[in-house]
Amino acid sequence: MSHSRKTVAVVGAGTMGSGIATVMARAGHTTILFDIDEAGLRRGVDTVHGFFDNSVRKGKLSAGQASAAKAALKGTTSLADLASSEVVVEAVFENLDLKKEIFGQLDEIVSESALFHTNTSTLSVTGIASGSRIPGRVVGTHYCNPAPLMKLVEVADGRHTADWAHRATLEFLGSLGKTGVVTKDRPGFIVNRFLIPWENSCIRALEAGLGTKEAIDSAVPGALGHPMGPFRLLDIVGMDIHQQVATRLYEQLRDPRFFPPPMVERMVAAGDLGRKTGRGFYEYGDTRLFGS
Amino acid sequence: MNTSSVPDLATIGLLGFGTMGAGIAQVMAASGRRVVVLETDRARLDEGFALVGASLDAGVTRGRLSENARTSALARITGTTEIRDLAGVEAVLESVTENGELKKALLTRVAALVGEKIPILTNTSALSVTDLAAGLPNPARVAGLHFFNPAPAMRTVEIVRALHTGEDLVDRLFALVETLDGKDAVLVKDRPGFLVNALLMPYLNDVVQEYDDGLASAEDLDAALRLGLGYKSGPLEMLDMIGLDVHLHATEAAYRATLDPRYAPPPLLRRMVAAGMLGAKNGQGFRTGEEGGR
Repeated sequence: MSHSRKTVAVVGAGTMGSGIATVMARAGHTTILFDIDEAGLRRGVDTVHGFFDNSVRKGKLSAGQASAAKAALKGTTSLADLASSEVVVEAVFENLDLKKEIFGQLDEIVSESALFHTNTSTLSVTGIASGSRIPGRVVGTHYCNPAPLMKLVEVADGRHTADWAHRATLEFLGSLGKTGVVTKDRPGFIVNRFLIPWENSCIRALEAGLGTKEAIDSAVPGALGHPMGPFRLLDIVGMDIHQQVATRLYEQLRDPRFFPPPMVERMVAAGDLGRKTGRGFYEYGDTRLFGS
Repeated sequence: MNTSSVPDLATIGLLGFGTMGAGIAQVMAASGRRVVVLETDRARLDEGFALVGASLDAGVTRGRLSENARTSALARITGTTEIRDLAGVEAVLESVTENGELKKALLTRVAALVGEKIPILTNTSALSVTDLAAGLPNPARVAGLHFFNPAPAMRTVEIVRALHTGEDLVDRLFALVETLDGKDAVLVKDRPGFLVNALLMPYLNDVVQEYDDGLASAEDLDAALRLGLGYKSGPLEMLDMIGLDVHLHATEAAYRATLDPRYAPPPLLRRMVAAGMLGAKNGQGFRTGEEGGR
């Protein structure tokens, strides 16, 4: 089954949704990208097409492969068009009620055997699954940004996730060329669980004057084998995103290590969000995140 | 790197030929310096030379080092078990086991031999440099020079300025690190863990606790952090490489010095060390016992 062509729906055409749709279409699955907003959907489809065009330019896909991948993708603003989906990946913004409502509506549209995946990063999989009449089919699959390039997907079962759904999820992720890592339905899963306090402690070290940002950004990767320093990474992630994730994890865990240090709030207030605004810890002439 | 001219601090008296000592000896010898290594017995000297030899061989195999450079680097390192053979060195670099009393006793004897002007450097990661310097004549010539494991591979070197460290010594150490191939110096305060380990230890403790709490398997925890963040090694394989006993000792020392609970050793770490599980060095750790292991 791992190489069979499936019909996969991706709900939400933002950064993560369009990235996940890229993964699905590239793997040869019939991919339906849904967004409630026509303009948002068009941007999402353009993002996917743009990625395939770049892949051709870089020699990673042939022109034929790119047009096949593009042909595998359809966009819609009508949930009813998702009826034939065998896998639904929910990737809307982090709002529990909205995510629950989407799964509740999809219960009435898709087959009872369809898998529901939620790409939440900070909400409870169990909570989101409670929106479906069949919570056993709901599995947390947390992709990393940029989804087409990052192999890791964190897999977390909710309290009621069924064994068949868990197994089918790991097999499906394998067919996409992803590495599914099994974790628990706990705030932040693995990566954010450790990254957020790490970044916060680096920011606190900077606030305390233990080193300049340049010194810390040089010393840490040079000592530990990280691909870049903590402040370069925050500039890519975006200070607003870091603040949101850190705050949501703090609200659930009440552990002060997760609470964003004051410098984060100051930078967000000043609009210094990182590369996307041209200035974060560093200044950037080029606001494109992942090159061309 | 210019090995024909005589570098500053041209002869290093290195105390200790364990993992870190061997790595540092290799780095110093590769920069054209002579290294005289003091160990307690011949067997430990042989083990140190074997580590340096294996590491240089790996460099030759990967084509990063010529056969000639390998031979001449090894020839610049001599071993001794007699403290008096350190007479005439231009700097002392201490890299013995992390035991404050032992370090102080040894440095006192070495200081008496080399005199008051010769810089005394320590590669300690867990102890206070100021405290080690305090018992020695002329503490202005004492500083930390902290390498990361494996020393030949890791770019960062922390220069630790203790309370009495002289500015001229700090400048000389920056100049010294400039002459070491591929190394970058960072000036840090003499605080528990200095800069990098102060950040690293709470993270490693946190991972061990979550592992004990069943967040994921050891393999999956490492895979998630390697793949998700692009780290060269996951935290549990890193702990195996550092040595569970070494990490326990360092984080205990940081906890004692700060009473910051982030440094408190997680119970599982203590139990593993008590059970003799020390990581890669004895094949028993978080990842080393795995089926189909590495």
